[in-house]
Amino acid sequence: MTGSEPDRAGGELLRALGAIADSPADARTAGRALGLPEISAAEHTEVFVLNCPPHASVYLGPEGGLGGEGTDRVAGFWRVIGLVPPREPDHLTTLLSLYAALGEAASDAAGDTAAGAAAGPPGLADRLGRAREVLFNEHLWPWLPGYLDAVAELGSPGLAAWAALTTRALVAERAVTKAGPLPLALRAAPEPVSADAPLADLAAALTTPIRSGLIVTRQRLRDGAGAAGTGYRIGERRFALRSMLEQDPGPTLGWLAGQALDWSRRHAERAPGDPAGTWWSERAAHTARMLLAAAERASAAVG
Amino acid sequence: MSDSTQPGRDAAGTLADLGKRVSAARDATLARGETFYQGPSRVHLAAFPPKERWDDWVELSSKAWPKRAERHYMLVPTTCFNCESACGLLAYVDRETGTVRKFEGNPEHPGSRGRNCAKGPATINQVTDPDRILYPMRRSGPRGAGGWERITWDEALDALAGRIRTALAEQRHNEIMVHLGRPGEDGYTERVLASWGVDGHNSHTNVCSSGGRTGFQFWLGIDRPSPDHANAKVIYLISSHLEAGHYFNPHAQRITEARARGAKVIVLDTRLSNTATHADYWLSPQPGSEAAINLAIARHLITTGRYDRDFVRRWWNWAEYMHACHPDRPGTFEEFERVLAGLYDEYTFEFAAAESGIDAATLAEVADVVAGAGTRFSSHSWRSAAAGNLGGWQVSRTLFLISALLGAVATEGGTFPNAWNKFVPRPIHTPPHPAVWQELSWPTEYPLAQNELSFLLPHFLKDGRGKLDTYFIRVYNPVWTNPDGASWIEVLTDETKVGCYVALTPTWNESAYFADYVLPMGLGSERHDTHSYEQYDGQWVGFRQPVLRAARERAGETITDTRQVNPGEVWEENEFWIELSWRIDPDGSLGIRQYHESRAHPGEKLTVDEYYGWMFENSVPGLPERAASEGLTPLEWMRRYGAFEVSRGDGAVHEREVPDEELSDIAVNEFGRVYTAAPAPAGPNIVPVASPGPDEQGRRAVGVSVDGVIRRGFPTPSGRLEFWSATLADWGWPEHALPGYIRSHVHPDNLAEGQVVLLSTFRLPTQIHTRSANSKWLDEIAHTNPVWMHPADAARFGVARTGDLVRVETEIGYFVAKAWITQGIRPGVVACSHHMGRWRLADGPRGSGGAMATVALSHSGDTWQMARKAGVGPYQSEDPDTARIWWSETGVHQNITFPVHPDPISGMHCWHQAVRVRPAEPGDRHGDISVDTAKSRQAYRNWLELARPAGQTTPDGTRRPRWLLRPLRPQADTYLLPVPQESTAS
Repeated sequence: MTGSEPDRAGGELLRALGAIADSPADARTAGRALGLPEISAAEHTEVFVLNCPPHASVYLGPEGGLGGEGTDRVAGFWRVIGLVPPREPDHLTTLLSLYAALGEAASDAAGDTAAGAAAGPPGLADRLGRAREVLFNEHLWPWLPGYLDAVAELGSPGLAAWAALTTRALVAERAVTKAGPLPLALRAAPEPVSADAPLADLAAALTTPIRSGLIVTRQRLRDGAGAAGTGYRIGERRFALRSMLEQDPGPTLGWLAGQALDWSRRHAERAPGDPAGTWWSERAAHTARMLLAAAERASAAVG
Repeated sequence: MSDSTQPGRDAAGTLADLGKRVSAARDATLARGETFYQGPSRVHLAAFPPKERWDDWVELSSKAWPKRAERHYMLVPTTCFNCESACGLLAYVDRETGTVRKFEGNPEHPGSRGRNCAKGPATINQVTDPDRILYPMRRSGPRGAGGWERITWDEALDALAGRIRTALAEQRHNEIMVHLGRPGEDGYTERVLASWGVDGHNSHTNVCSSGGRTGFQFWLGIDRPSPDHANAKVIYLISSHLEAGHYFNPHAQRITEARARGAKVIVLDTRLSNTATHADYWLSPQPGSEAAINLAIARHLITTGRYDRDFVRRWWNWAEYMHACHPDRPGTFEEFERVLAGLYDEYTFEFAAAESGIDAATLAEVADVVAGAGTRFSSHSWRSAAAGNLGGWQVSRTLFLISALLGAVATEGGTFPNAWNKFVPRPIHTPPHPAVWQELSWPTEYPLAQNELSFLLPHFLKDGRGKLDTYFIRVYNPVWTNPDGASWIEVLTDETKVGCYVALTPTWNESAYFADYVLPMGLGSERHDTHSYEQYDGQWVGFRQPVLRAARERAGETITDTRQVNPGEVWEENEFWIELSWRIDPDGSLGIRQYHESRAHPGEKLTVDEYYGWMFENSVPGLPERAASEGLTPLEWMRRYGAFEVSRGDGAVHEREVPDEELSDIAVNEFGRVYTAAPAPAGPNIVPVASPGPDEQGRRAVGVSVDGVIRRGFPTPSGRLEFWSATLADWGWPEHALPGYIRSHVHPDNLAEGQVVLLSTFRLPTQIHTRSANSKWLDEIAHTNPVWMHPADAARFGVARTGDLVRVETEIGYFVAKAWITQGIRPGVVACSHHMGRWRLADGPRGSGGAMATVALSHSGDTWQMARKAGVGPYQSEDPDTARIWWSETGVHQNITFPVHPDPISGMHCWHQAVRVRPAEPGDRHGDISVDTAKSRQAYRNWLELARPAGQTTPDGTRRPRWLLRPLRPQADTYLLPVPQESTAS
């Protein structure tokens, strides 16, 4: 890894992009520095609090929620590289900040003359570089492209621009990062959605990205209720989805199958040939097949 | 290069360009002293008010809820004064009312990092305490009778200055003494006394940490350890006093970090302390056996070859030891190793098990964990065992033996000498060393004492060794804090022994009742000081300041005297000492005034602004540049941020090569000690370290030759770590020159039938010695100190239930307390925390209504009786919370029932007591006390006989080895012992 001014600028860019997810205040400050459209506190809340929590555990964890195994896995990474896991070790801001810091530390350890740093102990730069690769391959790349896709469709111009810019930056990083094996979170993913599951379990599985392959946001669910002709009951997503399935399962399953197909396509097109993207695409496709079959059964039963 | 091969490049520009744009915006923001990433940074920081909003920080009033009423604050940093670790505080100054509303942590402080223990925020209780002292007062009747009259500061200053001036003119320099409790600053008071030419500094340290310090000093020439807990693999704590009590916050937060990374924590504490509950290994030893355990672990390292041979070879003074103690054997390292291999043969795990009561297998397991730590072994010992036992100083000496064997000295995760992690800026004036020696503090019986024999002062005064014309206590409560408090009352009420007695204190206390003058001093947010403490491998300096002064100056006002902003007529010590010094020497003829005079405006009084402005401009490397980058002066910067990190990652200072410019006409002795004729450079950091003496030609000790390279080494006579102390050997204690084990005065062999050991050296992490009583939140959290006893002992004592009253009989009297029956203490040992049992006289000032019992103190001959008249209860005051006091207990003042136990080497008071415990008698009330001061006198004499006076042991005619640390070191010729009478006659 070489320490260069572009590397440092790249680190600062990622840190600033990450900071936008942290708080409305940071979104304003960093957003202005990045030249993004103004991001209001309401938009920030709508995206990061109500629809797309910026935590890896939500997208890679087997429970699809905050904490649990998904967070533990990221915390373990912090410990392995000798750092104390912070309060939310899998928060997007934290992860991008750590990624930037590892890059800067690797530059310093390599004796980055531009930064005026003395070379660190032999091998340190390589170790830091490897840690950075692992962070990217295991804890950033496996979920962020899909996550940013979901953010982009939430209707906030500032945050859609942020999502596009973050995606650009990640794709650029991907191009210079040595690929690793299929990430552990995907290798060890729980079983996909099963049509035989009780309604409550089905709703839980469909709103757990790692099981379904798709991200069903609150906003998207409201739209889906409209499309399926069901009422949208205010509550957490699993409750709302279960209610929709109870009201009118056929159209709801049909709408969900369409969503899954769409996500399968988006995953595949995002980075053709990328193992993680392929995995997500296949999982969404499996969900789509299952939902289509279930929708047909439901419609037949009604008919 | 195309876009596909150069990441981040596209038609819209490069991502790198965008990154540079962000960097530029961030740099510009930071240069303005503002925060770019304003939310919680999430990496290594918690959420705090961003510093650019400290001028106008807005919070919603909780009391106005559900209305959204905004409160606007100015946030002003200061340094906590409620223990010695100097954590950063942020005062929330209400912009509307100009008052302090609360205190929280200062995120800019490198030591405490925005975190505080309960004592820090409780500063607001002290500030708003309805019972605090607001005006200068003089007694209006006999001492201790409770009559007071308010006087002006001028009256007090003129009276005191007159007395001191007369004493100096009459060459009665040794009749002036200032006795410090909580120092809270780095050397200011010592320099005031030096400017007066008096050796009058007295401290509380010999009832506190002298034992712990002694063991470190003989190894290092520096008397405090600085464990790098955060990076340790194994953390080994002899008692948890420091980690659970005194320095709870900075140490605990770093231990927590280490534990999160998998570090093992080993705690030796006879009782189940807060820290012990978090330990991987809790060892509950027989009190006084800790050094035996340390030696068994050391022996394990030695006999299994799991010590750092190269470190020992390079840095121990083994060659000096072989030369002195084994002159007939080859002086090689290999031969030393052969000696070392058998040196601690006695200290098997079985031996340590027999002494400590902990099974040998557990000790062996712990030793193995220690051995696995390598250089990431951090350790600490402060009070408790080192302060409790005869020979307790060997606890820290044997503890450091383990560090020194592992090579875990000044390594990442190891233990540093504190002076390398502390920064004391050089001040504007440095007065010369006093030309007198204070025998009342530094008697010849204790030539190696680590600090002043402060707790023996009443006995020395009774002996007729001297008297005091003017005696100041300063944030100190000797009657309550020291052992044998009744003897203190006897001398403090005797005007032939103490002519004028002045209490400089923010709060009423048991000692201030007997004073002639009570002068109100500021709390942590009402005074200036600089303060620095060892907490990691780095150096920082913290600034304590009167926050309302800083706030009003920030708002554009000019404040010239801290009394203008403090409540009532509360002052601060800096301005008080400057003013008093000017009045002692109004025309400069005594040579005192020059040290309190402005350098910018000669002939004018030095102001605190100039004092600290000069210091921060000239003595804190990097601060002027940092301040300038924000368009501030260094003083303005410190007033705004409160602390500055001077350096980080200083590492092993002893390994640094001595630069050529310091090597001139050098001489190297046979053990590699290097002396130079080059003068010592005047560095900005004047942190106290020992002063190894010069060679016979007067060259100063500059370093030590290690494998042919001249390195800085340690400030010991040998320049190396002193495994063997020539000083101890030469000054009459050859049997203790090596790290060893001294059986305690409370060793089971020394207990009479029916006696058990009383541990009295612990406290709760929410207590602040005397001043916690004036913190209502802390009073509510903890307000009693029951006697811990194991169920088996309770049955033996005839104590049926927790809460039953017991009499604890000491050598000189007894106290009555409540029992707490618990498995959290070793059988055969009882324990009672200090910091409790505050009292006030029925006809005296209230003191603190939330924590001081009302007592009747009677005196007949040598017998003193304290009878509890009333506990605490609700009362009306300007603070509505005093009407809500729900508790009535205040605990018991146990220290007053202890005789003095001076360790003959360290001078430390050995706190542990051999006591008998039995059910209370009919009529006994919780907190009752009885003491016979005639027995106190006898105990004093008995322990004095253990001493080996300098007159019998000095190798060179001096009172004390000159190289040893000593506060306010007098000039060289005062070290000479007085010539005996018959010699002068002949």
